[in-house]
Amino acid sequence: MNNLHTDNAPSLAVVIPPFIFGSLSFFMLTILIMLTGSDLLGVYFSGKLLAITHLAVLGWATMIVLGALYQLVPVVFGTGLYSEKLAHVTFGSFSLSIILLVYSFWNSAFSTTLLWAASLMFISLSFFSINILMSTRTGTQNIQSKYVTTAIIWLLLTALLGLLIAFNFKFHYFSQLHLHYLKVHAHLGLVGWFLSLIIGVSSTLIPMFLISHQLEQKNLHYSFYLINGGLSLLTLDWLFLKGTFLIPLYWAVITLGILFYLNFVREAFVKRLRKGLDTGMKYTVLAVVSMLLPVVISIFLLLKYEGDNGFHMRAVTLYGFSIIFVLITPLILGQTYKTLPFIIWLHKYKELVGKYKTPMPKDLYSEVLGKVQFVIYYGAILIFMAALLLQNALLIKTGSYLLLLVAILYNINVFKIIFHKIQTESISA
Amino acid sequence: MSSAEEIKDIEAQIEQILFNVMDPEINLNIVDLGLIYSLVFDGTETVEIKMTFSTPACPLGDAIVMSVKQSINNVFPDYQIDVQIVFDPPWTTEMISENGKLMLGM
Repeated sequence: MNNLHTDNAPSLAVVIPPFIFGSLSFFMLTILIMLTGSDLLGVYFSGKLLAITHLAVLGWATMIVLGALYQLVPVVFGTGLYSEKLAHVTFGSFSLSIILLVYSFWNSAFSTTLLWAASLMFISLSFFSINILMSTRTGTQNIQSKYVTTAIIWLLLTALLGLLIAFNFKFHYFSQLHLHYLKVHAHLGLVGWFLSLIIGVSSTLIPMFLISHQLEQKNLHYSFYLINGGLSLLTLDWLFLKGTFLIPLYWAVITLGILFYLNFVREAFVKRLRKGLDTGMKYTVLAVVSMLLPVVISIFLLLKYEGDNGFHMRAVTLYGFSIIFVLITPLILGQTYKTLPFIIWLHKYKELVGKYKTPMPKDLYSEVLGKVQFVIYYGAILIFMAALLLQNALLIKTGSYLLLLVAILYNINVFKIIFHKIQTESISA
Repeated sequence: MSSAEEIKDIEAQIEQILFNVMDPEINLNIVDLGLIYSLVFDGTETVEIKMTFSTPACPLGDAIVMSVKQSINNVFPDYQIDVQIVFDPPWTTEMISENGKLMLGM
């Protein structure tokens, strides 16, 4: 036997529902942004903003990651998924918990529905974590798998703290304000879960898609210890010492880790065999480079912490926005085009290749639509950032309409891929 | 049992067939890509192919193997195709043919 990675690929029934839910969540997200309008310029600790943020990071980003990771486990770890049944249960409970969570934030039901939503969310993410961690037990152990495993642990800690924050709305046991714990919760999720996962998966996929070989793995090892070390110290300091003067130091350690990762990506880009970039890789490369934006904003926030409160609030909103819409969302948009067509193509054409002329994975979606979507997306993002900085309601409105258009174009392509009908031509002699 | 000349001729035909097998991600045929390490026809009904992938974690690996087998069986339906995947030596970009480099715009 050849023991190929695709021999371990899970069934479509496990992978596709999260992609559908995630794509529709992205559409819903743009609707909620449009409905919120100029309220986005207000305080970030509001029900509507929390609803939007959680729909973005859970319903959209984490849900797509869920589907993609089930497919990528064989690629990154060289092993099969531990349990498809558990994956189905996870999808059901995770979907329900997202709907409940967004509903409770949107309607400010902090002491009622939110408790159920947060509990179900923690259970769902525990199921997901068990499935991935059990799968990786027998798989390849390398720096990429270490990143993914660690990301899962951070995800669980994020969900646990989220659960504790939710119950605190009713039972009031925390010594600090909610905002303090929300800050820790957000960083556990954004840096611990998303950043670790992005580095772990992208350090496998980017060289694979760019066809880059003989890359220096040391960059990834340094990055791993610096980011996880820095984030652990930051979390402990925030939770147990209420934030000491050492916070900037931990931040510097994390930043150094990010720079080592960016150096790895730079090397992959320089050594790449494939010179032209398709839509998926354009999104990916731009998102990875843009990782520096939240880093720069965070340094600014650390330096200006005691400064003008209004400007500080805007900078915080911009910081969160840049992580979600400049780093995470473009990566998901781009990697959808690098994973979903291959998943569907493999399923539909694996038995037909060689016997008939078949389309290639890139033929399953419209590249033109993807290119238009790319241009509009970055237009919308620039408008949004200007709106947040200038506190301009008209720009917010313009940006939200453009973002809705992006979501429609993205969904058209996603459903075009998912509902692709087999097309074959006989091979002429 | 075929003669040495016939064996060479069939091996050349099979190589030509493999020029039509594409790596779906790179969009280049696997011969120009340098994925075929050896191709041996035993003179009866067995073809042994040693090949690699552009990355050990290639998510489309078994589709490529399937394509190799089915493309050959389209022309030689009675042949047994034995494909072995090897990663030693690991594939590098140096293995791409001059023609392949041109097609990839290198």
